[in-house]
Amino acid sequence: MKRIELLSPAGDIERLKVTLLYGADAVYIGGEKYGLRANATNFTIEEIREGCRFAHKLGKKVYLTLNIVFHNEDMDGVEEYIQSVVDSGIDAFIVSDPFIISYIKTNFPSVEVHLSTQDSTTNYKAVEYFQKQGVDRVVLAREVSLKEISEIIKHTGIDIEVFIHGAMCTCYSGRCALSNYVTNRDANRGGCAQVCRFSFEVDGKKDFTFATKDNNLARYIGDLIDIGVTSLKVEGRMRSLYYLATVIGTYREIIDRYYANTLTEDVLKVLEERLARVANRAVSTHYLLKEADYDDQYYTGRNEASNQDYLGQVISYDKEKKLVKFYERNYFSVGDMVELFTPSGERVSFQVEKLYDEDFNLLDVARHPDNIYYIYLDTDIDIVAYSMIRLLHH
Amino acid sequence: MKVLVEVASKNISDYVNDAQALLLGLEKFSVLNTVTFSLDEVQEIIKMYPNVDVFVKMDKNIFNEELGEVKDILCRLEQMAVCGVFFYDLSLLELKQELNLSLDLVWSQTHMVTNFRTCQYYFDEGVRYALLSKEITLDEILEICKKSSIQTIVEVVSLPSVGFSRRKLLRNYYHDALDKGESILSVKEKITGKHYLVKEEGAGTGFLLDEVLNGTSVISSLFHAGVSYILFREEGIDNFLELISDTRKYIADDCSDQHYVEKYKKLGDSTGFFFKKTIYRVKK
Repeated sequence: MKRIELLSPAGDIERLKVTLLYGADAVYIGGEKYGLRANATNFTIEEIREGCRFAHKLGKKVYLTLNIVFHNEDMDGVEEYIQSVVDSGIDAFIVSDPFIISYIKTNFPSVEVHLSTQDSTTNYKAVEYFQKQGVDRVVLAREVSLKEISEIIKHTGIDIEVFIHGAMCTCYSGRCALSNYVTNRDANRGGCAQVCRFSFEVDGKKDFTFATKDNNLARYIGDLIDIGVTSLKVEGRMRSLYYLATVIGTYREIIDRYYANTLTEDVLKVLEERLARVANRAVSTHYLLKEADYDDQYYTGRNEASNQDYLGQVISYDKEKKLVKFYERNYFSVGDMVELFTPSGERVSFQVEKLYDEDFNLLDVARHPDNIYYIYLDTDIDIVAYSMIRLLHH
Repeated sequence: MKVLVEVASKNISDYVNDAQALLLGLEKFSVLNTVTFSLDEVQEIIKMYPNVDVFVKMDKNIFNEELGEVKDILCRLEQMAVCGVFFYDLSLLELKQELNLSLDLVWSQTHMVTNFRTCQYYFDEGVRYALLSKEITLDEILEICKKSSIQTIVEVVSLPSVGFSRRKLLRNYYHDALDKGESILSVKEKITGKHYLVKEEGAGTGFLLDEVLNGTSVISSLFHAGVSYILFREEGIDNFLELISDTRKYIADDCSDQHYVEKYKKLGDSTGFFFKKTIYRVKK
């Protein structure tokens, strides 16, 4: 049986590398044109090439979003752009526009096309339509249930990708222009201002809010595997390295343990707790098991908590001196309980005993994010670059 | 170019003197209508008014369990003299092709009908009409008319729909506010001060800008570009029948009567995106 794919977002080349190291089987990225995150860093053609080279060496894949809703002017140069991305080694395009789908499948039949969730595909007849146009995979609308996903797979046999984690739109994807009307930013060309997270005034009554909680299907990964889903997608091309490392690393463990039959309830609870610590919003399963309802949204405007758990990103480890060299990300001090975790999933918890600045002066606290520090750690685990240090408690 | 009217009442006889075409929301399968019609009612209207072009709106997102009914409806519509079916969900196009129906379809994906190449794609797939998105400029509309073979429909007067969710957002809001609530709520966006109508119905919750899109000044350009229909949605528009009557006369006169344009400045100065391009890159 083919193992399910874990698909991660990557906002830049560093995130691409890190998330693949942390266990993603494939990444999706945005180019400098035609993606729905026009204000993210995004990849140049050279970076796409570098990302593909890096991924392919690991036997992994890279997909490029080309999923804006095209206006006339956007069509200028799109063929040349597609050609240059294909030449860079891309494995698949994520597309919403059927003309673009047809163009890619006609001219580059060996490159996969994945139908974007922007099309809000919710039934097997719509899937069959795109299947006939040569689409290789469909990213379903986030409004469908587990039962409906299963029916779609049974009827079509096509590869199906499902969002398992991250932010949700309130409206059907593609069926929302609130951002256009409120801010003049084009939601369907990458400029979405997330107006669904604004709070609106109501005469004489409480403000009207309709922001959703985030999506988290960690508990249902086994069900998605069992019904034959091809790919599990994590949302968030603008998320941090630490977030990606934690979320992708955790889902890697859930998937691997499910296949190995070691995903016990106790283990799952620990892993869910790990995901919860990087979440900045409450989570729910939205439409997976029932129609989304009262419990799946907020009633008090924006609800985002900043997270201070992320303490440092490891640069290297000196085994002889037992010193971890790292970039600081958040304030911490001697005596704090911390955990270091590596891309391969190893973890070590310890109390900070000795902390040094870049010139090896002994310190009590690390106060300056982005500065380089050293921390003493005696361990046998294989600490490599892009290992992460997080706070357990002060 | 004909005047297409999305009615807000079941008194069809009120419209047929001046509207050359009617858009009827099909019950259970269309969204954001003031009134909807059963298949039997559609059939009756077609029989009673054979000189009026009747279009049916089936623009909700379709789920697996609804596919059987959608198929039956399309087969019944095939037997009626319907001019076209407005669709959002691609299952309708798939079923038309599978069943080899001659029924004409109108590509009506709200905010996604935005360029001439994709219009041409759908035309080549057997879709006869496209309702162009309200979020593109007049110049873009004219270019689509010029470079695509699809017959175009342009919404010119309405309270524009700006979003649709499957969620029951009003029910949830009232539940939280411990209020019995109604199916329409007026809300104000705090920075722009603009009002929106939030409407909940069976298929979910929609948002309308509570400000009239006044495209009367662009009708002449649309007429000369060969647009097939201009769409007027009745909800929220005062003296609607007079507007329709005047518009029909204006078109019959090759859009040369400047008094029409002057008169309908009273609908307000919101021309939507006809003369305003959206942006999407906000930082370097």
